[in-house]
Amino acid sequence: MKDISLGQFYPADSFTHKMDPRAKLVLVVAFIVMAFLAKNFLSYFAVMLCVISATLVSRIPILKVLKSIKAIIFILIFTGILNLLFYNGETVLWSWWQIKITVEGIIFSLKMVLRLVLLVMGTTLLTYTTTPTAITDGMESLMHPLKYIKVPVHDIAVIMSIALRFIPIISEEVDKIMMAQKARGAAFDNGGLLKRAKALLPVLIPLFVSAFRRADELALALDARCYNATPNRTRYKQMKFSLRDVLGVLGTAAFIVLVVALNNNFWGAYEPVASVWWLFSV
Amino acid sequence: MRIEVKELGFVYSPKSPFEKVALDDITFTVNEGDTLGIVGSTGSGKSTLCRHFNALIRVQRGEITVGEIRLHAKKVDLKTLRKNVGMLFQFPEYQLFADTVKKDVEFGPLNFGFSAEEADAAAREALELVGLDFDEVASKSPFELSGGQMRRAAIAGVLASRPSVLVLDEPTAGLDPRGKREILELVTALKAGVTGTVIIISHNMDEIAEFCNRVVVLENGKLLADTTPDELFNRSDIVERTELDYPHTVKIKRLLAEKGVFIDSSALNADELSAAIAGRFKA
Repeated sequence: MKDISLGQFYPADSFTHKMDPRAKLVLVVAFIVMAFLAKNFLSYFAVMLCVISATLVSRIPILKVLKSIKAIIFILIFTGILNLLFYNGETVLWSWWQIKITVEGIIFSLKMVLRLVLLVMGTTLLTYTTTPTAITDGMESLMHPLKYIKVPVHDIAVIMSIALRFIPIISEEVDKIMMAQKARGAAFDNGGLLKRAKALLPVLIPLFVSAFRRADELALALDARCYNATPNRTRYKQMKFSLRDVLGVLGTAAFIVLVVALNNNFWGAYEPVASVWWLFSV
Repeated sequence: MRIEVKELGFVYSPKSPFEKVALDDITFTVNEGDTLGIVGSTGSGKSTLCRHFNALIRVQRGEITVGEIRLHAKKVDLKTLRKNVGMLFQFPEYQLFADTVKKDVEFGPLNFGFSAEEADAAAREALELVGLDFDEVASKSPFELSGGQMRRAAIAGVLASRPSVLVLDEPTAGLDPRGKREILELVTALKAGVTGTVIIISHNMDEIAEFCNRVVVLENGKLLADTTPDELFNRSDIVERTELDYPHTVKIKRLLAEKGVFIDSSALNADELSAAIAGRFKA
């Protein structure tokens, strides 16, 4: 349980780690758009190149980033198989009843899987390089305009950061209570589903009791320090848009241009070798 | 029960940026009948070490033998081990969960295979031992009890399984002086009857001085000393290096010595020391 990596921040001293969280949030959105823009394999390669270079400048082991795919492995398999079997293609390779496997289907499902993998890899980079607090601060700052339509932006941000802050505390608490009950002979990992669920009661009840106690104490502590969300609050950590962020934006923009260019074959660059690289044009 | 710890090492989150060496090459033995104090500053590995004793943490490196059970073996009989090594965590009152005190206290015994009657008898005995009136509290919800009573009920929950080794992780934290006294007297009473061996983690040197016959000092996961309280408090190098405190009895003896009154006694508890001082002045 100690290894639970929620928010999964990976501490390192890198270009991306030092970027403004707001810039990173915007760039992640841009990246998602980029991944959806890509049409052919060549532009997918450009997106992949973008992910790889972002990983390199973030100084995060590529294996760590690949590990994030593990979480969506079932979605990948599901998407791959569904698209493979039900894509309405022309060049039929094999068919049975309503199901047919076509060349176009294979290509399409490959692309879908590739897109999902790239999306997850790219977005995990955000959580790897940015602490949950920085993400919340960045979001608050980006949502600032919503204040004018009376959205309680600051309150939402405080709720979010408190929730995030409490995840490790609660997970530690779960750990402790489980140990205490194990010491009294509780077993959590045998028996059927119902038995296991029942075995968790001695953990869940003290956990809820302590969560309410903590919430109460926190509310008191906030009150005691006259906490309120006045609009004039200042911050300990100021966010600053720097040259680094400009470079990040430019880099991402370059990749988007590349993807669009490859999509539309602006230069006719790969036409001469189309016979070999036919795969990329589909 | 004898506990042998040999070259024990433990690392949290190995091979990650969060890697932290918690224990490093620890070797010592706890003999049957010992009351062993484990001291050291926060983060020195005391709790990690103790959690090894009933296999809440599995041995990574080194060896531990509790009685006949080898904890470093591939398969460990956890039920027998945990029945024999009772462990009381910090703030145990936060682990109460059942709808009645009796059910909560019976939780351990029932898990360890006591029959319903045996568990009932064990709960009755344990609750009386910690000074709660069985008939009064048995059918109450544990959350109706006062703070002090909750802690006693939680202790009863550990004692009910009749462990032969009792591990206490800061049993007196957050109690008033009287509550502290009562808990420690309870531990002494237990030693006379139920449990042969007691291991106490504590930051309170008065408790260590008065109740322990041996003490182990940890610093950054290393074993710094394995000695008796009397010797430990004479080794100012260790006490100061680890930022431990001296017990009041030692402080009083030193203050008296500064004024030229030398008390020739190794007394570490209040009664013995006052008797020794009184004796000095009578003579």
